[in-house]
Amino acid sequence: MRKYHLVRRADAKLKRTLLYYAIGILASLLIGAVILAVLGVNPLEYFGKMFTIGLVGNKYGYRQIEGLLKNFVPLLITSVALSLSFKMRFWNIGGEGEFLAGAIAASIVAFQVTGLPNFVTVLLMCLAAMISSGLIGVAVAALKVKFNTNETLMTLMINYIMLYVIKYIGETKADWNFFLQEESDRPIFGTFPQSAFMGSIPIGKFSLLWSVIIAVALTVIIYVYLKYTKHGYEISVVGDSSATAKYAGMSVGKIVLRTMFISSALIGLAAALAVSSAGTISDSITNDVGWTGIIVAWLSKLNIPAVFVTSFLIEVLQYGCQIAASQYPAIDSNYANLLQGIILFSVLVADFVANFRVVRKEDAKNA
Amino acid sequence: MEYAIELKGITKSFGPVAANKNINLALAKGEILALLGENGSGKTTLMNMLSGIYMPDSGSIFIDGKKVEINSPEDSGKLGIGMVHQHFKLVERFTALENIQIGMRDDGRFVHGKDVRKKIEDTAAKFGFDIDLDKVVANMAVSEKQTLEILKVLCYGAKIIILDEPTAVLTVQEIDKLFAVLRKMRDEGHSIIIITHKLNEVMAISDRVTILRHGEYIDTVVTKETNEKTLTELMVGRKITLNIDRPLIEKTHPLLEIRDLTIKNDEGAVAIDHINFYIRGGELLGVAGIAGSGQKELCEAIAGLRKIESGQMIHEGESIVGMSPKKILEHGISMSFIPEDRLGMGLAPSLSITDNMILKNYNEATGPFVDRKSAREEAQKVIDKLEVVTPSTETPVRRLSGGNVQKVLLGREIKSGPNVLITAYPVRGLDINSSYTIYNILNEEKKKGTGILFVGEDLDVMLALCDKIMVICHGRLQGVVNSDHTTKEEIGLMMTGTLNIVNKEGKTDGIAKDSAITDEEGKA
Repeated sequence: MRKYHLVRRADAKLKRTLLYYAIGILASLLIGAVILAVLGVNPLEYFGKMFTIGLVGNKYGYRQIEGLLKNFVPLLITSVALSLSFKMRFWNIGGEGEFLAGAIAASIVAFQVTGLPNFVTVLLMCLAAMISSGLIGVAVAALKVKFNTNETLMTLMINYIMLYVIKYIGETKADWNFFLQEESDRPIFGTFPQSAFMGSIPIGKFSLLWSVIIAVALTVIIYVYLKYTKHGYEISVVGDSSATAKYAGMSVGKIVLRTMFISSALIGLAAALAVSSAGTISDSITNDVGWTGIIVAWLSKLNIPAVFVTSFLIEVLQYGCQIAASQYPAIDSNYANLLQGIILFSVLVADFVANFRVVRKEDAKNA
Repeated sequence: MEYAIELKGITKSFGPVAANKNINLALAKGEILALLGENGSGKTTLMNMLSGIYMPDSGSIFIDGKKVEINSPEDSGKLGIGMVHQHFKLVERFTALENIQIGMRDDGRFVHGKDVRKKIEDTAAKFGFDIDLDKVVANMAVSEKQTLEILKVLCYGAKIIILDEPTAVLTVQEIDKLFAVLRKMRDEGHSIIIITHKLNEVMAISDRVTILRHGEYIDTVVTKETNEKTLTELMVGRKITLNIDRPLIEKTHPLLEIRDLTIKNDEGAVAIDHINFYIRGGELLGVAGIAGSGQKELCEAIAGLRKIESGQMIHEGESIVGMSPKKILEHGISMSFIPEDRLGMGLAPSLSITDNMILKNYNEATGPFVDRKSAREEAQKVIDKLEVVTPSTETPVRRLSGGNVQKVLLGREIKSGPNVLITAYPVRGLDINSSYTIYNILNEEKKKGTGILFVGEDLDVMLALCDKIMVICHGRLQGVVNSDHTTKEEIGLMMTGTLNIVNKEGKTDGIAKDSAITDEEGKA
């Protein structure tokens, strides 16, 4: 017997949503604290280190900020890019694959194009990454437009294809394989020549990578693009109702192709910035941004300023967890992942509770 | 009487929309009950609650006199209820036999072997089904698929069978065959509910008829003691006196002429069948017909959203066949269609009123940016002029009440200054006052010399508002009548296909005397 059923709330109040989010996060921290206590670690101390990302009492604190920003840039750009396609209700879950494609393309330029100034090399890396990732996105979009294939499956498969491509490159020692270190007998990815490294602006001891500035600028540009341009308008109409878009005389196919190109090209750019900042490539270069980005985009309700804030908070959580975990022998980075998982899960539950309510079913008064 | 099914006080809402309001229904054992009502009257919703797809918000269901709770299609199957859906639920790549087999359970295990085939063949023979069990569903004709669906539920041991508009996809001969099978099933002691809105079929097959209108229970009558006229009245409602203005305007030349137009629906069946009509400037032409008689397809075809099979569409002397929706719009034809969910076509529900205002002309602004400033002014003008109740121009259309949504839509269509305005169900679901606002808007347009095609549902309204009414039934033109010289009864008979007056007194309805299309062109 089902006595209760779910009803969508007519109005989703921001205050209530935030309150539920806070309850959810507190609850998950509590669960995390229990696990820590069982492992013999003082939860308060651990969380303290986590949320300050190890800044307090650290002489090299600025290094932590640099590290945090290095991880933040790809996540931010990827989340923004995914929001773009989600806004059109195009379920691009191929962020990982598009990212890897961009990383590989950028690395090819980094290893092969030498002798050019640093700025030009990095620019070429970015272009190569954007074009190759963008083309993958367009290919999936074209299949969708032409044959109405399921973009969720298609983009998902791209992830695995690209993952195995990079694994193949990383594990195959051969003459042609310029990705690997020549001097090593085991297959290890090589380091880029100095000209392919991301430049930075020194601010005292701290050096601010150009990629951070690019990412912030891009976020602003995409915000304007979505909110004020005709293209942005078309994206929201197509996403809202493609029947209405057709009725208004928009060519839906063209809009889908264009938007998917921009979305995946941006993810490619994120990858180029990431490899250039790291100075090398690896099969874990994505740092899961293709997945985390999906969560960021949805938690932010596809609102670009919210994406900026959310991706930053999630990065603090991720990075802080790793930093804190590295300081206790009983805990490794898996705990960090576990805690993140619990927090994200409870935030999603909180979001659901904020939007639905449970209603008791009435029995009819029988005649 | 012993009842196979009794429904008491069933109510079901989807969000704020009540699809079923306090409905009572009783199906006697061994009878065929027709469930009659227009599209959107809640028939399918009601039946989906019996087949376990939806659960009622309130009310109770009795099967064989026992109160039951149906929480899933499986529960429904266990109670001996089998539903044949309008959209078949078959695995296209499987054969008929396999399709039946996958749903057969013996204590929860799959069953297979020769016995199964024998059992299916026996059931088919018993009811006179003509079916090739080894044929793959993908290769079957529609009628074969339907036969398979019915055979399937019989093989699962259903004693109560619900058919959702089974005749919609069949030819006349196939319908006769289906009815023969249904009668045989009844004689074997099965109880049958058949959903339909075709009166001749109701009269032919059913023992009793239950009528729904706008989600409400109206009445149940014995078929033998009623006639098509009474049923029509019950279905569309009794005559009420309305006080709607109908200004008389000097009519001009035919603005839009439709000649010999044939259109297919999404399923590939003929939706509009060789129709002729025309609209003059300053004329309000109504389109009457049972919902789902091809109105949607007709509107879409004129707006360039649907391909036509054959025929001509001439606007001010120029053919609009094959033009893009945008081109047609630029030509001055504006179409607004209010679908059953009210938001599906014409509006982007999550976007603001402002954003919806510029849906059709956002591209006219120069540069890469959308001109929201003038859009906001236009939105404000529409809000003021049509008295749209809204907190602001930036409110998402989805948050407005139905009437206000429709005002926004019409307001936008009118502001582009069209010379032909196609509007379908503009007052759908509106209260009296909002409806009158809409009628006034249409009359204002008519006074400007616009030709208006008004696809409506309420005959009283159409008689009061329209200059002329064209009646269609199953996509065919039944005649064009002058509102002053017709009655609701006459239109009702034409809607149900009982009366056809296209060729009376030597003239053909739907072809203008001063047509811009010459006879040769018309035939070409």
